[in-house]
Amino acid sequence: MSSSTGLPSSGVGGGGGNGDGGWVQPFPSKTSVQTLGKRIQKEMLELNADPPAGCSAGPKGDNLFHWVSTMIGPQGSPYEGGIFFLDIVFPQNYPFRPPQVTFKTRIFHCNVDSTGNLNLDILKDGWSPALTISNVLLTIKAIITNPDPYKPLVSSIACLYLTDRAKHDEIAAEWTMRFAR
Amino acid sequence: MAAEEEKSPNNPQNPPRRSPRARMKESILSPGFRSAAAMAGWDEEALLFASLVVEDTPVRESRHRKRRSPQFKTPPTTNSNRKRRSRRQSPNPIPPVVLCLDDDEEKTVEKKDPGAKRKDSEIVVAAEEKKTEGEGASVEKASSKGLPCMDRLREELSCAICLDICFEPSTTPCGHSFCMKCLKCAAAKCGKRCPKCRQLISNGRSCTVNTVLWNTIQLLFPEEVEARKNSSAATSRSSNVQSPERSSNNVRNSHANSNTRSSHTRSATQVSQGMDRERIIRRRAIPSQSEDAALALRLQREEFMVAFHDNREQQRSTLHSAQANLRAMASRAVHFRTRGRST
Repeated sequence: MSSSTGLPSSGVGGGGGNGDGGWVQPFPSKTSVQTLGKRIQKEMLELNADPPAGCSAGPKGDNLFHWVSTMIGPQGSPYEGGIFFLDIVFPQNYPFRPPQVTFKTRIFHCNVDSTGNLNLDILKDGWSPALTISNVLLTIKAIITNPDPYKPLVSSIACLYLTDRAKHDEIAAEWTMRFAR
Repeated sequence: MAAEEEKSPNNPQNPPRRSPRARMKESILSPGFRSAAAMAGWDEEALLFASLVVEDTPVRESRHRKRRSPQFKTPPTTNSNRKRRSRRQSPNPIPPVVLCLDDDEEKTVEKKDPGAKRKDSEIVVAAEEKKTEGEGASVEKASSKGLPCMDRLREELSCAICLDICFEPSTTPCGHSFCMKCLKCAAAKCGKRCPKCRQLISNGRSCTVNTVLWNTIQLLFPEEVEARKNSSAATSRSSNVQSPERSSNNVRNSHANSNTRSSHTRSATQVSQGMDRERIIRRRAIPSQSEDAALALRLQREEFMVAFHDNREQQRSTLHSAQANLRAMASRAVHFRTRGRST
C-alpha cells in the first residue's frame, strides 16, 4: 500500500503501533500515517513560523519523517561560533514515542558521545506526547550551554568539566573550531 | 414628541405581529395606543387592513426592520435562551399563527425586563425589533470580533498530542484537556500520566468526554470538527480495505486484536481467515479439483454471510473490495493448479 512509502526505513518494523488504539498493530495503518503526518506537518509550520533562537529544522528532502536541524552554538559557551547539525528521525508512533535525535557534527560535550548520541531525559523515559520538536531543540540548546556532568555519556569529559573547567572549555572551543565550522 | 414616538411603530409595515392578536382580542389595543393611532390618522380598521396586507410581504418587513434597528439599543446578549430562539427563527419568515404564540412568550420575557416600559402592543413590536437587532449584533460579533481571537482560541482548544482541535476532548484530573483518543493512546503507550504536567491520571475519569468543552468546540469550529469526523470515518474505511490483504501475513496478531476492533473489522479478519485457510491448504498438499471447488464455495458463503450481516453502506464498499480480492485470489489459485496439472 502506498501508506508505507513515506515511512523511515528504520521502521519500528512489525511492532509499530498506530495512532488510535492501545493495541499493537502488525502493520502501519493508514490512520497512523495520516495523523502522524498531520502532526509533523503542523510542527513544521509552527517551527517555520516561530523558530527557537539559533535553531532551525526541517525535513530532509521530501521525507517528512527524517529531519535535519541546525543549531548555532550558544553565545557565552565554548561552542560559540559553531554550527551543529542534528539528525531527527521520527518513529512511526511518533507523538507517543520520542524522536531520535543525534548530533551529526562532533562536539566535545559530556552528554554527547562520539557517535552523536544524546543523553537527554526527555528523549528517553521523560518523553511526553505533548512535547514538540521545538521543545526538544530548546532543551538541547540548554544542555549545550549547561552540561550535566552527573549524567554523563562520556565520563572523561564530565570529569574534566568538574575538575578543570577552563581546560574543558578550551578543548570544547578547539573542537568547535575544528569540526563545527 | 411622544406622539411621534408612538406613531412610528404603527407604521403600516409594522404591525404584522400585532394584527392576529388584535383580531382576536380588540381590547389588547390599549387606549393610549388607540389615541396615538387616532392622532396619526389611522382608524382601527385601516390599521388592521394595512397589517393584513403587509402580512404577505415579509420582504418589505425585513427591510424595514433592518432600517430601523440601529435606533434601538443592543439587548443583553447573555440571555442565551432568547438568542437561541431568535437564531432558530431567523432563516425563514414564519407564519403568523406561530408568531402569535411566540409573541405571548416574548411578552412575558420582555415584561420582566425592567428597561422595557412600553405599552402592550408596542412591547411586542419592540421585542421583535430587539430580537432582530440582537440577531444582527451576534452575527456581526461572530464575524468581526471573531477574527482576531479565533487563532488564540484555536491554540487554546487544540490537543497537545495531535496539535489539532480537540476531538471529543476529555479532561484529566489535573485540568488538561486532550482528544479522548489521543489521551487513551498516550495512557496506553506512555504510562498513565498527564502528557502536559506528568501528574498521574486515574483511568476512569480520563475516558469521559468533557461535554461542555466539546459542545463549545463544535460551536466554534464546526468545519474542523466536521472534517475530522469525515476523515476518521474515511480512515476507518480505508484501513478496513487494507487489513485483509496485510493481515494475512499476521493472522495470529489480528486474531488477538479482533476483539478490540469494531464488528466490521472483525468481519474482515473473518474473511482473512478464509484466505489463511486457503494458503494452508495450498501449502500442505496438492488438493484435488473438488477441494478447490469446495473452497471457492465456502469462501463465497463466507462472503455472503458477511455481506448480509452488516448492511451499512460504508462497510459494503470495503466488503466489495475484499470480495474482489478474494475472488481474484481464488481464481488465481484455481488457475494455477489447473495449469500445473495440465503440464
